[in-house]
Amino acid sequence: MNTIDIKINERSLKVLPGITILQACRDNGIDILTMCHLKGLSDVGACRLCLVEIEGINKLLSACTTRVASNMVIRTDTEKIKRYQRITTELFFAERNHVCSVCVANGNCELQELGYKVGMDHIRYPFLFPECKVDTSHQYFVMDHNRCIMCTRCVRACSEVEGAFNWDVKNRGFQVRVISDFDTPWGESITCTSCGKCLQACPTGALWSKDVVQGQLEKHPEMITELVEKRKLLLT
Amino acid sequence: MTKKKIGTVWLGGCSGCHMSLLDIDERILDVARLADIVKCPIVDGKEFPKVDIALVEGSVTSDEHLHEILHIRKQAKLLVALGDCAVMTNVTGMRNYLQLNEVFDTAYVNAISNDQSGTVPNHPALLRLHDKVFPLQEVVNVDYVIPGCPPSADAIFYVLFEFLNDRVPDLNEVKKLKYG
Amino acid sequence: MNRQEFKDLVIAETEKTKNSTCKHKICICCGAGCISSGSEAVMKKLQEEIIERGLQSEVEIIPTGCMGPCNQGPLMKYLPENSIYQKVDCSNISQIVQSQVIEKKPIEHLLLFADSRERPFSNADEDPFFSKQLKIVLKNCGQLNPERIEDYLVHEGYRALDKALFEMSPEDVIAEIKQSRMRGRGGAGYPTGLKWETVYKYVNDQKYVICNGDEGDPGAFMDRSVLEGNPHRVLEGMAIGGYAVGASKGYAYIRGEYPLAIKRFEAAIKQAKKMGLLGPNILGSNFSFDVEVRIGAGAFVCGEETALIASIEGKRGTPRPRPPFPAESGLWGKPTLINNVETFAGIAPIINNGGEWYSEIGTPKSAGTKVFALAGKINYSGLIEVPMGTSLREIVFDIGGGIQGGGEFKAAQTGGPSGGCIPAEHLDVKMDYEALVNLGSIMGSGGLIVMDQSSDMVDVARFFMEFCMDESCGKCVPCRVGTKMMHDLLQKICDNNASRIDLERLEELAVYVKEASLCGLGGSAPNPLLSTLRHFRNEYETRIGKYEEKHIEVPQTSEV
Repeated sequence: MNTIDIKINERSLKVLPGITILQACRDNGIDILTMCHLKGLSDVGACRLCLVEIEGINKLLSACTTRVASNMVIRTDTEKIKRYQRITTELFFAERNHVCSVCVANGNCELQELGYKVGMDHIRYPFLFPECKVDTSHQYFVMDHNRCIMCTRCVRACSEVEGAFNWDVKNRGFQVRVISDFDTPWGESITCTSCGKCLQACPTGALWSKDVVQGQLEKHPEMITELVEKRKLLLT
Repeated sequence: MTKKKIGTVWLGGCSGCHMSLLDIDERILDVARLADIVKCPIVDGKEFPKVDIALVEGSVTSDEHLHEILHIRKQAKLLVALGDCAVMTNVTGMRNYLQLNEVFDTAYVNAISNDQSGTVPNHPALLRLHDKVFPLQEVVNVDYVIPGCPPSADAIFYVLFEFLNDRVPDLNEVKKLKYG
Repeated sequence: MNRQEFKDLVIAETEKTKNSTCKHKICICCGAGCISSGSEAVMKKLQEEIIERGLQSEVEIIPTGCMGPCNQGPLMKYLPENSIYQKVDCSNISQIVQSQVIEKKPIEHLLLFADSRERPFSNADEDPFFSKQLKIVLKNCGQLNPERIEDYLVHEGYRALDKALFEMSPEDVIAEIKQSRMRGRGGAGYPTGLKWETVYKYVNDQKYVICNGDEGDPGAFMDRSVLEGNPHRVLEGMAIGGYAVGASKGYAYIRGEYPLAIKRFEAAIKQAKKMGLLGPNILGSNFSFDVEVRIGAGAFVCGEETALIASIEGKRGTPRPRPPFPAESGLWGKPTLINNVETFAGIAPIINNGGEWYSEIGTPKSAGTKVFALAGKINYSGLIEVPMGTSLREIVFDIGGGIQGGGEFKAAQTGGPSGGCIPAEHLDVKMDYEALVNLGSIMGSGGLIVMDQSSDMVDVARFFMEFCMDESCGKCVPCRVGTKMMHDLLQKICDNNASRIDLERLEELAVYVKEASLCGLGGSAPNPLLSTLRHFRNEYETRIGKYEEKHIEVPQTSEV
């Protein structure tokens, strides 16, 4: 198969044309931080953690949505990118009410992991402490907006994999919230199939099932990826 | 070599960080060789003395805490925020999106209790809660932070030991960073 | 209607106008600005007056689009003398008709700028407000009735479309636009010809043309005035664009806050369709083009092209990362040409007069004219059109008549919440895309807000940040949380509660949000902040100094 030459962090690589920079990095063991990306779901470039520098382009581009091109020279590890990743992480924590010690996802949380990876020991920005609702109306599951980081992985898992279109987003700016149906309690949703895919897609403790307690939530986002890949196999 | 002085204090927190500090077990002897612990919640003494290292647990929730942390900042060469409450308000900050009177009503008026009077205590000797809880770094200069709820005993010992040996600890390096 | 019929119709309409018995024409501005100051009542009263005096066969009353000096409205223009009357109300109609129409004497104290100029001009074109302008896009605004396609036909209307369809190939049209060196008037200034060529080159059986009329900058009303004053010009530009790139369908995305613009544009589409200037086989050619209006629901971010496209598709109006650009994958994944209202309105004159003619106007890098919406602490605010490279001084002092109450010019904000301020020491800057970028501002879509000494620049930065914070779509983290954090820090500075560390943090955040944001909204949201910091840093320092005086002992925050 035809490959093209690219360079990532001084490493010369041969990759398939048409793949994303993120894919090229992951295929070649180059670590790249992501939050809104989940393999199998469409990419939206919203978390801005996977920003990379590309020679000849004066903007930072998100690796998950930018495709490789012949002779592209990419850097994923510059001081600036690392600094920006840390700021992004801090903004995630400062935006809503992330209280790790009482969270079901404590120890199994992608946001926590992200903090460790960027070496965030404290948050330099004032916490916003917004008033967020906790929706416990569903028979099995809970949506805790305090812990939501608006990665919209649940929204995409629900629409793209389950096809139920239960989740969507309302409002603008820092007041955005994930909503069920037309902003009704989740328990009253007429579209939710209670499949639980959104729970698996969620990187934090925002979506969880009622049978777990603090620190006991286990998530398997790779389940979504597997499902999508197996379906592809079925179709071919 | 003169021994260094360590002081610890417990502001708006649950004392769990101090429990974790005690969990360094026999390594307290290593600390004791290099420093005296001149103030801590179980050491008697009114004023926070001049120290080399101040370990501060908990966040700033009241006028008394504010007064104390400002005083400690003046007394300490090195101020270390100990635990999630001190670093990011943690559980103590969970009242920040509520009104203070809602908090009082929930705790004293509406809560099921043997005390049927249902009044909010209001004695002049009691501390006054602030409307909002702040992490230490929003109130004073903080020199080092150890997040965690509680931070592991290993992390606390590591940081103390490094500082006592005039080295700057790096929690990232030794993978002791932890929240919650 | 085929080409010959169209030509006959144009000739017939022109003859009809020429042979009209009406020796007098009275134009009344019926743009949204003048309507809100009462021009409709004035028009009704004028009609009654004319009937009362039995002058129906001599006086023609034309409701027109924006004439320019909006804060002097309602405006009434008397032709052929070209005398403009300002702040007309029903009580002085009779007097004006008597004096101007019957006795042929203008009433000086009611003329435009009579209350501020030593002597007003009875021919408004001699007034510096107009004489310094060069109207290409706005040429027929204020002259013709925007609700009558016949008026537009008399003023060279659809001549460019006719020329493009029958005398030029799509390549010729693109070459002409490229030669004109026109740049997109939406704000970023991307060369229009290049964009058209890119869309043209993508092979696809379905392509789209979108006209971006989602003008949301505070204080900007260029697009609204063009859509209200001459909707057919925009429609013609879109059709030419469709022909050039090979698109058969166009969408005009107009913000819902412009009901009059929507009404007139929709009426224009209907009229054009009826005449065969839109729809299948335009003027008997092989080219078919249809236009539909889409109404924006009030989100500023929908002015961003990818968000606008999502909105037309019926999705939540949020931007997506580029590349791929709309030229490659736009509306419903098809190649899409998306230009601003003003860009499309500038197309017909280029086709009619040639790209070379257009390229000679303006500066070497920015050709043509630019429409600005003048607002703020200025004597004459309103809608103006000047050649690129006109100095800010000429705009503010010659056209705008200087600062209100004889105050001192402090700064001018261009580009609204995405732009920056230009301080007094740069008053002589020749306004074009590059010069403004060099000063840390942008051309933007053309809002120009003039500020005097009473303006507090920190508060100005805070205001625009609040706007961006409210209008951020909330999709990407830097813009969603970053604008909120920056706003809070700016508020803190305004309240004299911020330390030096807060300012450092603010500056770091500003650069981060600018570089890391997903779309242009976040990418330009810190611009007002960064430019006020650049030109008026002392105002920030003063406030921080005030804080430090209060808190000499306890620095409030610090780096760990």
